Amino acid sequence: MRLVPAGVVLAALGVLAAQAPGVTVDLDAMLAPPSAAHPLGTDHLGRDLLARLAVGVAPTLRAVAAALVGALGLGVAAGAAMALGPALMRATLEGLADLALSLPTLVVALVLAAALGAGSLAIGVALAITGWAPYALTVAALADRVRGEEYWHAARALGVGPVAGFRRHILPAIAPRLGALAGADAGRAVLMAASLGFLGLGVDTGRPDWGGLVHEYRLFLFHAPRLVLAPVAMIALVSLALHLAFDPLRPMHRRGAGGRGFRPPRWRR
Amino acid sequence: MTAAARAAAAVCLAWLAVCAACFALFRLTPGDPAAIYADRAGVAGAQITAELRAAWGLDHPPATQFADWLLRALGGDAGLSFEDRRPIADDFARRLPWSAAVGAGGLALGVVLAVALGFAAALRPGGPADWASRALAVMAQALPAFAVGLVVLWVVAVEARLIRPLTAQGGDRLVLPILLVALFSAGSLARVVRAAFAEVRAAQWFRTALAKGLSARAALWSHGARHMTLSLIASLVPEAAWVVGGTAVAEIVFGVPGLSERVVAAVAARDYPVLQAYAALVAALMLTVRLAARLTIRRLDPRPAA
Repeated sequence: MRLVPAGVVLAALGVLAAQAPGVTVDLDAMLAPPSAAHPLGTDHLGRDLLARLAVGVAPTLRAVAAALVGALGLGVAAGAAMALGPALMRATLEGLADLALSLPTLVVALVLAAALGAGSLAIGVALAITGWAPYALTVAALADRVRGEEYWHAARALGVGPVAGFRRHILPAIAPRLGALAGADAGRAVLMAASLGFLGLGVDTGRPDWGGLVHEYRLFLFHAPRLVLAPVAMIALVSLALHLAFDPLRPMHRRGAGGRGFRPPRWRR
Repeated sequence: MTAAARAAAAVCLAWLAVCAACFALFRLTPGDPAAIYADRAGVAGAQITAELRAAWGLDHPPATQFADWLLRALGGDAGLSFEDRRPIADDFARRLPWSAAVGAGGLALGVVLAVALGFAAALRPGGPADWASRALAVMAQALPAFAVGLVVLWVVAVEARLIRPLTAQGGDRLVLPILLVALFSAGSLARVVRAAFAEVRAAQWFRTALAKGLSARAALWSHGARHMTLSLIASLVPEAAWVVGGTAVAEIVFGVPGLSERVVAAVAARDYPVLQAYAALVAALMLTVRLAARLTIRRLDPRPAA
């Protein structure tokens, strides 16, 4: 049920990216208000705003994909190593996770953008470096609990190795929690890509993403606010849809009384 | 005392590791800053590039370069910028007060807002304060700070004509960036405060406090404040990490002459010494915050961690 809004938004993005007309400069139609030909109006060079928004779909989704693959992969691997490896490895990884939780994502992204060049890769690596820790701690904590269950002992007694056992008995049990974390991370990736774009460090300044559009149009905030508000609305819509799909605020809201041992790590932004 | 000394040693080690990682990243990535600089200045050539490399100390082995940088940095000298050949430390010293005011002021105001809102929300679950704190939390999670900042700018300056934020002088131009950082911090911290107070409300001894005749408000505050403080301090560390980035964005949106301008320009120009100094500064700040949070929690809650 909760996946419906995200599905609708993603489908709308696909239609937008596929159907929008190409971006063309038309100096006769500078700053035209919304009309049938230009549903969102045009910018200072007469370019169709909707078409420019469509260009930003692909870089945004690429950044989300890179961030999720990086953070999930690194986090699950580190969590498995913490749960199944020797005590020294666990202590080391716990220290690293603690350190990673206090890394400012945007600063890491800036440093990486300088070293690797701005783009989906820098954003993905930055979000992976700063975002793997909640996954790892969640995986390790829940794996500890599963390892107290009888079916885990039975599987081990039957000769199932630790890695195969992890894949078969632990991962399915923790998938829903990882999903919730991933939803929050996907939303963060959208915001991070937009923030870098806004700082003027977007992927390609010739074909800017939504943050880049805000950067480009920020001088028109006072004369034609729709130029700024439209990309801002796109960023908010996609990030909200990704958040709602997995509703990270619900467990945070509910974890009140009781305190049954495990508490999910706090969300980072 | 030994525990504190060990924690301080761990902080120093972690700082060294972060600085070294940053240094290695800049030295190992392709693209010679000397060649880029010469290219931009329109004087590309092997001779000039080699001279620049020698002048900037890039011809030494990386380990020597790092040791050299470290010794100088500890003495307060962060070297010269590649771009304008001026001392970075002076530049940072001039800009840091602006950034510190936005970041520290915003976080402090955010904590005050979060405690007030979270307390009111826990006192009346489902009430207006609860909804307000949830709305703020959703905003903090799902909206980019620069977007909210621009909308605030539009509303305050264009629609209401209250202030002239971009042309204001001195302290006036700090009002909006501090408010922006405070709103975002309050959004995520208020839920933490609310959850901590909700835990207190559900405890058996809270019923005892009510039975003694205390009002719900007085009982929740006098018996729950310490518990809430512990949760709040624990979540201040990730929040401070966000505030560092959020401050950067707020400075750019509202045109505050802080560190961010310089750092963003340095990213575009690959001005590595500036970025290295910034990374070292942020790492020192975050590690100090983390250590202070840990020591405070230990003092407030002396029970050994389970």
